[in-house]
Amino acid sequence: MKKLIGILLLSLWFVSCSSEESDRVTIDNPEISMEIPAGFPEVNVSFTTNKPTQYGVELGAKLFSDKRFSANNTVSCASCHIPTSAFADHNPQAIGIENRVGLRNTPSLQNLAFLQFYNWDGNKLQLENQPLVPIITHEEMDSSILEVIGKIQGDATYKDLFDKAFGDENITPERIYKSIAQFEYTLISANSKYDKVKRNEAAFAETEAKGYAVFQQKCVSCHSTELFTDQSFRNIGFPINTDTNEAGRARVTGNMEDYMRFRVPSLRNVALTAPYGSFGQFASLEAVLDYFDKGVLDAENLDAIFKKNGNKISLSTTEKVQLIAFLNTLTDEQFLKKQ
Amino acid sequence: MKNFKKYLLLVVAGLAFVSCSDDGDNPVANNVTLSFNNTFKNSTIVLGNATSASATANTSAAGQVHHFSELKYVISNIRLVKADGTEIPYNVNDLDKGAAVIDQAKAASLNYVLSNIPSATYKQIKFGLGVKTDLNTLDEVRFPVFYATAGANDTEMHWEWGTGYRFTKIEGFYDTDNKQLSIHTGSTVSGTMGDSATYVQGVDAYRDITLDLTTNAVVGKNAPKITIKADFDKLLSGKINTITLSSTGMNANATPSVHTAANMVKYVDNIGGNGSSDVKGMFSVENVEN
Repeated sequence: MKKLIGILLLSLWFVSCSSEESDRVTIDNPEISMEIPAGFPEVNVSFTTNKPTQYGVELGAKLFSDKRFSANNTVSCASCHIPTSAFADHNPQAIGIENRVGLRNTPSLQNLAFLQFYNWDGNKLQLENQPLVPIITHEEMDSSILEVIGKIQGDATYKDLFDKAFGDENITPERIYKSIAQFEYTLISANSKYDKVKRNEAAFAETEAKGYAVFQQKCVSCHSTELFTDQSFRNIGFPINTDTNEAGRARVTGNMEDYMRFRVPSLRNVALTAPYGSFGQFASLEAVLDYFDKGVLDAENLDAIFKKNGNKISLSTTEKVQLIAFLNTLTDEQFLKKQ
Repeated sequence: MKNFKKYLLLVVAGLAFVSCSDDGDNPVANNVTLSFNNTFKNSTIVLGNATSASATANTSAAGQVHHFSELKYVISNIRLVKADGTEIPYNVNDLDKGAAVIDQAKAASLNYVLSNIPSATYKQIKFGLGVKTDLNTLDEVRFPVFYATAGANDTEMHWEWGTGYRFTKIEGFYDTDNKQLSIHTGSTVSGTMGDSATYVQGVDAYRDITLDLTTNAVVGKNAPKITIKADFDKLLSGKINTITLSSTGMNANATPSVHTAANMVKYVDNIGGNGSSDVKGMFSVENVEN
């Protein structure tokens, strides 16, 4: 009996010894210093509890472009959120596996740390809660988080990155969501010509300057702040998506006042993200401006600003040209090149 | 060591006595079967496609004839209440062991067996139509069995965009020209899980149901069967709302296709009650077999 106890103790000692051995030097995984651009609004609270780290971001970037997230390994996040197109694509509605067409237009991804609502209807309030949606949606990746983990867990590069980012090799759903969000938080676009003009590093051409004046007169009440969105939900009388899954913001709130209201999209890099509208109703910026000028659809909950202005934003041909010249100054070449 | 053996013998003998009494007249626990009878008024629903002659047709208070081709709903958070008022929760925080998809197309799903219910006399049953917000997260790691059951291709009870479960899924046809009817319900609540003070947006479509048993269920040597009627006549002609299905748009009394939170609560309140003046919705206890 004593011998047995002796062996037991001895083996316990070995176990504890070997676990100490695996306790190697802690990997340095520093937080990434993120410069908050001047005039940007406050960050989302979630950002403060999931700040980007060197390896968290590296891991998130790798996951973001991994096609194994889809059931048949053909679609990654980056398939629709194309980095060189400001993380949007060029389909009216997103296209997932087996060419299935989604409900809405792929939104561009930038300055997400400063948003309080995500998606066209604001159904997610934390970026970390978003990645599961495309993974499981039939029209997007049509997979499941355990299916994804099953596919990537044997990958030595991932083991290494999860270890470096989170302290051990365990691949968990939460770590996947957090690292993707960390990567997305680093996508800050604030170095367009517009920004340089603001910082007195460049000057608008004459047409651009006139376009900026038109913008401030006719657009800025919704596309406000340095994000070029006030993050409100509005019905601006765009052609309606008759899909029964669409109700705009009311899809989430159940409040019919929110019927077909959508989040005001940011205009940063807008020149790169055609087509426009919640389901890609407009092929070009010209088409959007022509529509505003001709008059939008009436609705009981049509935005008050449109109601006050005869359901339209009147724009002359010259003003349209000027506005588009200004909108082009919101393209951030450096942001796009980095990707 | 000899002493130890003696003790062991005693213990074994003791166990034998216990198990002996288990097999006798008064077991400590037994099964309770919940049997769901999905009806239009008093007729059990027969599903059918648009032009089906055998499908059960129903006429709403507003005069709209309708029938279903698909009928599913989720039951969870089941509690049995003893005659003395003590509540016996049944795996209320474990969807794998305590939640079910009732599917009219699958006969086996209509009988849900609660196992190991303590022997006692029960007077009431409580359950949820849908899933409580704190568990309604499509957590595949925590509840792999329920996640798979609900997400199966022939079930489709994942509400992906809301990252929760569909609580009900009804497909069917209405009016004499058999226009399509499609009503899905689920929660869109956002906030910190389990902390309702932080729910900043969305609709909670979970409904807690309380039903008095027509006869006390006596769990012991018998395993009672409680038949619960779910009268889907209430969907359009409920205690709370009388619904007329009409064309889409924000002024319709109710659209025939509900796949979002918009317009959804009318249906949810009709079938699940409003949680205050009506805690029964479409449900009633048909009978208890002891």
